[in-house]
Amino acid sequence: MQRFVILSKKDLDAFISALAQSQKVVAPVARGHNNFSFAEVSSGKEITLKYIPTILPPKKYFLPTQEIITSYNKRENALNAILEYEKMVIFGVHTCDLAGIQCLNMVFADKPKDINYIIRKNKIAIIGLECNDYCDEYASCHVVGNHLPNGGYDLFFTDLGDVFIVHINTMLGDELVNKAAVFKSADAKMLKALESLRQMKHSIFKDEVNVKHQELKPLFDRSSNSKVWEDLNKRCVACGNCTNVCPTCYCFDIIDEPNLDLNTGVRYRRWDSCQNEPFAKVAGNENFRKERSQRQRHRYMRKFKYPVDKYSRYFCTGCGRCSRTCMAQIKLKETINDLAKETQ
Amino acid sequence: MRKPKVAFFDFSSCEGCQLQVANFGEALLDILGLIDVVMFREAISEKSDDYDVAIIEGSITTSHDIERIKQIRATAKVLIAYGACATIGGINGMKNNFDLEDIKKYVYKDDAKYFESIPTHPLHQVVKVDYFVHGCPVYQPEFVKVLKCALAGLLYTVPDYAVCTECRFNENVCMYDKGITCMGPVTRAGCNSWCVNNGNICYGCRGMLSNPAQEGQMDILKKHNIALDWVQNKMNMYNKPRELDTEPPANNGHIG
Ligand code: SF4
Ligand code: SF4
Ligand code: SF4
Ligand code: SF4
Ligand code: SF4
Repeated sequence: MQRFVILSKKDLDAFISALAQSQKVVAPVARGHNNFSFAEVSSGKEITLKYIPTILPPKKYFLPTQEIITSYNKRENALNAILEYEKMVIFGVHTCDLAGIQCLNMVFADKPKDINYIIRKNKIAIIGLECNDYCDEYASCHVVGNHLPNGGYDLFFTDLGDVFIVHINTMLGDELVNKAAVFKSADAKMLKALESLRQMKHSIFKDEVNVKHQELKPLFDRSSNSKVWEDLNKRCVACGNCTNVCPTCYCFDIIDEPNLDLNTGVRYRRWDSCQNEPFAKVAGNENFRKERSQRQRHRYMRKFKYPVDKYSRYFCTGCGRCSRTCMAQIKLKETINDLAKETQ
Repeated sequence: MRKPKVAFFDFSSCEGCQLQVANFGEALLDILGLIDVVMFREAISEKSDDYDVAIIEGSITTSHDIERIKQIRATAKVLIAYGACATIGGINGMKNNFDLEDIKKYVYKDDAKYFESIPTHPLHQVVKVDYFVHGCPVYQPEFVKVLKCALAGLLYTVPDYAVCTECRFNENVCMYDKGITCMGPVTRAGCNSWCVNNGNICYGCRGMLSNPAQEGQMDILKKHNIALDWVQNKMNMYNKPRELDTEPPANNGHIG
């Protein structure tokens, strides 16, 4: 049976403070200029409940931007695996970002399993937060089916005015609720209120592009040679922002660095991007994706075509981050509409 | 094992990058444990022409400089270009925007005839450079990385992706969101977006990416209502001598 409880808004602070006493709690905080980021908090007051997707998605806690994975000792010919993780709760994850984490989970559990990712993920509790309305005009969560919760959380908060109605989805979520002792049971009236909110969302959230959900994949199937990529070639500066902020991009590079003794050292991995010049460069300075048009096409195909072939799921969560962050104003919704217009 | 002898030399520069080393504090002691400094005007005065590693600050701006750097190259086993003046010509490169005779007269007035001058060159346009430490001034943690690689005989590949990458990792609010233009998108990373972390824009001091999207960047800057010559100046501030490159220098952001 579905289990719901209620948290009075004025008790949010008590809930977060209590959580923060026993483990690290991260949540969206305001950074100015309508920018937000997930950061450690010790009380509910530091959290911004109404926020647009953060600069980096919660991915940074599952796959750190830079992570030491082994240490080495040349003289002893030794290589030791290293795993750093910490127990934490991520509070306030929107449904688009929940979907992003689900995508990463699929990829890193696939062969070869990424042990560092999996162990770290098992230490992280996720508390979702519903968007009652669009975050802004860059979002396209409806067309990819992520404007409503689809699992991938321990607890899920929906704002009902003075209270949150909270869905308990896992044993861990249950524990968090029981330990805090500030939750009350949800009565039929609250459940009704949740239902009417979801009804209302049906009229607010509409497909954000001129292409239907099922038509996105076929559109990209036939868009390999589109002129749209040429247009992006002129505008894109290959800064890599769009992929670094994307909740479902997971490419990394591996780098060795000696310590000062020059005998021992570490191997770390660092986020990489298909937009970066060296990404597809191989020995002899050959570059398989020299043109920015090819790199842009690759990025889009990696959201709407390749993962659908492999995992039967769109890897665009509709979060809108890539469009928000692009100083060249390359916008995902526009790109999709342009492709659709061209191949009609 | 004998400690490698390291010598610092300066050419046309403000010597600010050498000061960065003197500013190292504690980390300097660790590094001094690895090397033997034999020549360093900023810190000590001992002179020697027997050294393994030459760390060169400054750009080549006279024909005498050319002779001197060739001499150093012939002596040193490893040559490290240190700081923007040495790696890309840097601020000195602005001279290349003007006619040499005009600029001489401007600087030396009536005595101009006594001075000889050539266009500004970064080191790699004159001699082979083994390692590049970019920046104006250099970013200390990167210098330590390069030095470790040089002493361990490992390759150090300068990042050939944009400063924006590090800036995103640091989750700075983008300057373009604040309505301010920034050279991050066409500038090679490696400084950990030092300036933006501290509230400044990226000025592009590490030099341009190997394949910078000049068209796209001009477009972005123009959209912010900046006059075309300003845009050109912004792009050229540190990068003017780039046009004298015959081929991209090895290891300087390229996989060898
Ligand atoms: S953010 Fe924009 S300019 Fe930067 S790589 Fe992506 S599409 Fe290109
Ligand atoms: S492609 Fe853009 S909108 Fe889609 S998930 Fe990535 S950042 Fe979000
Ligand atoms: S993209 Fe959709 S789910 Fe994500 S924050 Fe915006 S409105 Fe919410
Ligand atoms: S502030 Fe500058 S360096 Fe940082 S992301 Fe924006 S353009 Fe790039
Ligand atoms: S942020 Fe830009 S100007 Fe500042 S050190 Fe880095 S490359 Fe140089």
